[in-house]
Amino acid sequence: MLNRVKNVGYGDTTPFLNAAGSVNLRAEIDKIIDVQVEQWYATVPQAAHLEGKDVNSEYYKRHLIETAWRIRLLRVAEAKALVEVAKVSPAAAQIWAHYEQEEMLHDELFVDDLKRVGVSREEFLATEPYLSTKLLAGFFSYLLDHEGPLGVIAYSYLVEYVNVKLEPRKLEALKASVGDTKIVGQVSHSHTDINDDHPGEVWAALRFLIKGEQDIAALKRYLEEHQKILAMYFSELYINTLAKPQDKAA
Amino acid sequence: MALHTLTINAHQLEFQLPTNAPFTDIEYEAGGKNLIPLGCRVGACGACLIKVTSGIEALNPRDDDEEAFIEVLGYSGEEYRLACQCLLRGEVAIDIIG
Repeated sequence: MLNRVKNVGYGDTTPFLNAAGSVNLRAEIDKIIDVQVEQWYATVPQAAHLEGKDVNSEYYKRHLIETAWRIRLLRVAEAKALVEVAKVSPAAAQIWAHYEQEEMLHDELFVDDLKRVGVSREEFLATEPYLSTKLLAGFFSYLLDHEGPLGVIAYSYLVEYVNVKLEPRKLEALKASVGDTKIVGQVSHSHTDINDDHPGEVWAALRFLIKGEQDIAALKRYLEEHQKILAMYFSELYINTLAKPQDKAA
Repeated sequence: MALHTLTINAHQLEFQLPTNAPFTDIEYEAGGKNLIPLGCRVGACGACLIKVTSGIEALNPRDDDEEAFIEVLGYSGEEYRLACQCLLRGEVAIDIIG
């Protein structure tokens, strides 16, 4: 009798990339992200603002608000991603579930840091997220419906890689500008990323979703697209907080 | 990129893996064969218990949870490991117990 069950991740479990191939591709992707980061600093207005000595209070608070919102909104799409990943790779799904377990409630760390600079939970909840933040969540939904989970997982790799590389420098600067007792939540968030090797964890899931050269090409495009949306966010943040009237008009 | 050899004594098989590769990768290097009996893959079930016969210094150290669980399973000594918790950092040979 015909067994009609499908989409459960059975069959050949051998990944397209063997262990050595996976390490090589990851090194290539990391170099691509490094170039993206350089472009980021060169083109996004005030991209290094939080690494400077004088941090604008409104910019800082709004960045924390949007970061908390982003985690809250994306965890819905990232939970849906688990469903899609489980259909094609149970091994990747287990890794992704573990990663989400650690990250899913981290919005509270940012909400706590908001309180430390005078922004109440009520104020946070009354602040509607930026359009760019909503668009990112919407992009995730589009990807899951029409292109598959690879792009969603790729976003986390981009963010984790960049966080582990750049966040310690930013936090050191914030200790001086905002105060080390005011950024406790962000420090804890960064500890998780580094101590639990979140870039490595996300890559381990990503590896199982790469089924051929087309997926590698798609991964590279997803990294570019995510960077564009994040750049939109930082432009929106700049216009909303730091920009002078003439900059806004431009 | 450095590659290291993991030998599974019973099968007389050798696998080349990059630094810090988890032992769970063996399943995929062996074309899906479950040479090491993997269960939960998070150090909770004990299915993948192994004995390291050489190269123990080329593994990440056991944490307290892994050590305690292996004792619960009835084994003591640092040569006993849960394969799913092992990361390869040099030449290692193992016997499969689980």
